[in-house]
Amino acid sequence: MIPLTMAKAGDAALIRKLSGRDEMRRHLTGLGFVVNGNVTVVSKTAGNLIVQVKDSRIALDKTMANRIMV
Amino acid sequence: MGIKIALAGNPNCGKTTLFNSLTGSSQHVGNWPGVTVEKKEGWLKGRKDVVIQDLPGIYSLSPYTLEEVVARDYLVKEKPDAILNVVDGTNIERNLYLTTQLIELGIPVVVAVNMMDLVQKNGDVIDVIKLGSTLGCEVVEMSALKGEGGMEAAQKAVTLAQTHRAGELPHIFTSRVEHAIARIEESIQGKVDDSYLRWYAIKIFERDEKALEALNVSAGLKAHMEERIADCEKELDDDAESIITNQRYSYISNVVSKSVKKKSGEHRRSVSDKIDQIVTNRILAMPIFAAVMVLIYSIAMGTSITDGGFAIGTFATDWANDIFFGEWVPNWADSILNVLSVAEGSWLYGLIVDGIIGGVGAVLGFVPQLLVLFLLLAILEDCGYMARIAFIMDRIFRRFGLSGKSFIPMLVATGCGVPGIMASRTIEQDRDRKMTIMTTCFIPCSAKMPIIGLFAGAVFGGSPWVAASAFFIGITAVVISGIILKKSKAFAGEPSPFVMELPAYHMPSANNVLRAAWERGWSFIKRAGTVILLSTIVLWFLQGYGFVGGRLQAVEDNGSSLLAAIGNAIAWVFYPLGWTGDMAWKATVASFTGLIAKENVVGTLGTLYHFLGEPGENGEKIWALAGADFGPLSSYSFMIFNLLCAPCFAAMGAIKREMNHAKWTAAAIGYMCLFAYMSAMIVYQLGGLFAGAVRFNLWTVVALTALVAVFYLLLRKGYQDEKRFRRMSSVDTKIK
Repeated sequence: MIPLTMAKAGDAALIRKLSGRDEMRRHLTGLGFVVNGNVTVVSKTAGNLIVQVKDSRIALDKTMANRIMV
Repeated sequence: MGIKIALAGNPNCGKTTLFNSLTGSSQHVGNWPGVTVEKKEGWLKGRKDVVIQDLPGIYSLSPYTLEEVVARDYLVKEKPDAILNVVDGTNIERNLYLTTQLIELGIPVVVAVNMMDLVQKNGDVIDVIKLGSTLGCEVVEMSALKGEGGMEAAQKAVTLAQTHRAGELPHIFTSRVEHAIARIEESIQGKVDDSYLRWYAIKIFERDEKALEALNVSAGLKAHMEERIADCEKELDDDAESIITNQRYSYISNVVSKSVKKKSGEHRRSVSDKIDQIVTNRILAMPIFAAVMVLIYSIAMGTSITDGGFAIGTFATDWANDIFFGEWVPNWADSILNVLSVAEGSWLYGLIVDGIIGGVGAVLGFVPQLLVLFLLLAILEDCGYMARIAFIMDRIFRRFGLSGKSFIPMLVATGCGVPGIMASRTIEQDRDRKMTIMTTCFIPCSAKMPIIGLFAGAVFGGSPWVAASAFFIGITAVVISGIILKKSKAFAGEPSPFVMELPAYHMPSANNVLRAAWERGWSFIKRAGTVILLSTIVLWFLQGYGFVGGRLQAVEDNGSSLLAAIGNAIAWVFYPLGWTGDMAWKATVASFTGLIAKENVVGTLGTLYHFLGEPGENGEKIWALAGADFGPLSSYSFMIFNLLCAPCFAAMGAIKREMNHAKWTAAAIGYMCLFAYMSAMIVYQLGGLFAGAVRFNLWTVVALTALVAVFYLLLRKGYQDEKRFRRMSSVDTKIK
């Protein structure tokens, strides 16, 4: 398991764990981040990410991305 | 009683566009996720007995942002007769996550699959009949942008609401979980309406505290249900909430695989991705953003087209000021008053032409410029770039304790502080939002531009550096306040991590953009017609009349007017800022009228110096007089104070609404005033001392102390909440 910040851009990865406060995890789930679901890093800028999850683009900062383990 | 239908769906799913077409009312539509926080209602076209209720965009019924709380509370507590759930067909899996939760509420649901035109263009096929039969509710196709299918969907919702027929609830979870939920349903039976039973049972299973509170269950029953949940968790080796969300999503992907045929399942590099590659690029992002902003401001507020620039806004406003309110309206008023035989020189003539047209006209003159600015900002918002700006700015704003989302309010505030403050609603964390509200008004709004323009022109010979420094002062004030506030107890802690959906870029819709720009512009015009109109009348009276020989009468020299008396009585407060001599009462009065509307600052000075000089043929003369009276250093301190101090009443009202708390409102406004006063004092006293214009005095010491205090507040170690750290880490370990 590695945090999403370390995943390679362009490759689809399987989400294995979400950590953080309850409401934040719920929010991530609502946005489409779900364990056993796919996530693809579209681009990286200084640790901040744009990812594709389900069919939407989500922007995440480093702290948030570190809570998603793939 | 009429029928109530709620519109629910994810942010950016086209809900607001549908709302507009169903009700015909005007509504703000943007691409910044979740622009509609206010509850907006409207009648369904042609049906006065059907109320359509627009809800803010939500991702799920577990609230995270303020807007999600609003939406959930409405659905659970006010119970609409039917829900019209708008679903983005291009992102159906994520959108159905909310749909499955809405269906559980036991309220009749119609699912309208929006953006069908795009779905077809992508070559995908959605079988709505199959989707409907699996989900157990009506599903219809729709394209809100093209206006297809929306009315039919609404009609279906009306029919369902009339028959009160909710669909058969689908079995989403595995039998083990369904079993546990059924047992919880049994335990709470009778406590809620039967149709709500399942929703409450699932929420209790998830250990949702709010739902449990609402039911008011006994401790014994609670322990009994907790046992069932714990059993189930043990058996499935996962926590209850994850069980629910994971099973919900696997149910959805099962549904989607049966009823949706995608042309290619692979990740497609869309046009949006390609644009994002450039505009969010590490090196290019900032230059592109800066270029966009420069472009916007040169179109709205730069050099007028008549002077070789390309500012449509400035051109239109010049015309409105010089020709429309400068010649046409006074001439019309003059001829009308002549017909009514109101003599020139009578008090009524003076009130209407000098007072009202002069005062209100000066304010309305800004409308064209503002409309251009609002229009351009609305385009940025509607096309999807605004969300990217928040993302780009996040890295920078985080350094002084604000999140990237705080940038949008500040950007909007360059036009007007009121919509700026309102734009802070999309910030999730309470303390981030409060901090944004407290600092947004430091950014000079369009009404403060004339203040800058006046002194840059009259005192500093049109130096562009003075104008630039005004912006710099605003930004510095935000940065310093960010750092200082973040170190106080109330705001301690990291800004909440940034996560935000980036909507796909699209051509802005003319309808949406015009509507948004006009709504903001109209609220400005309304203000000019009410508050500012009233204040110009009062001002005109106060500065034209005074007690001479114990009798109230018109005065020749406004130095003996009522206004001067009031100004002189308060002016001592501003003595440390260098407001001394004859200008003191005028500066004081101007600052106070600025509270009504910042445009009044210049307007008041205009009226006051107009009296003094010979009938000013052109404005230049008046401003030259004012400039000479103020002097450079006092001008600068006056400018700083007025740029930073409490905003106008309209913005203060917005602060009060958004803070929703009297103490916080007072704290925010008090902070701004104190900050403004200190800054102006430091600049005047210490700047003056260095320049040799001000001698060392008691206030030099006060200013020095204030400066040291600011540095201390900036550099001290921030407040650390030990307890919070411990609590956070205990949560983390539990999850692990």
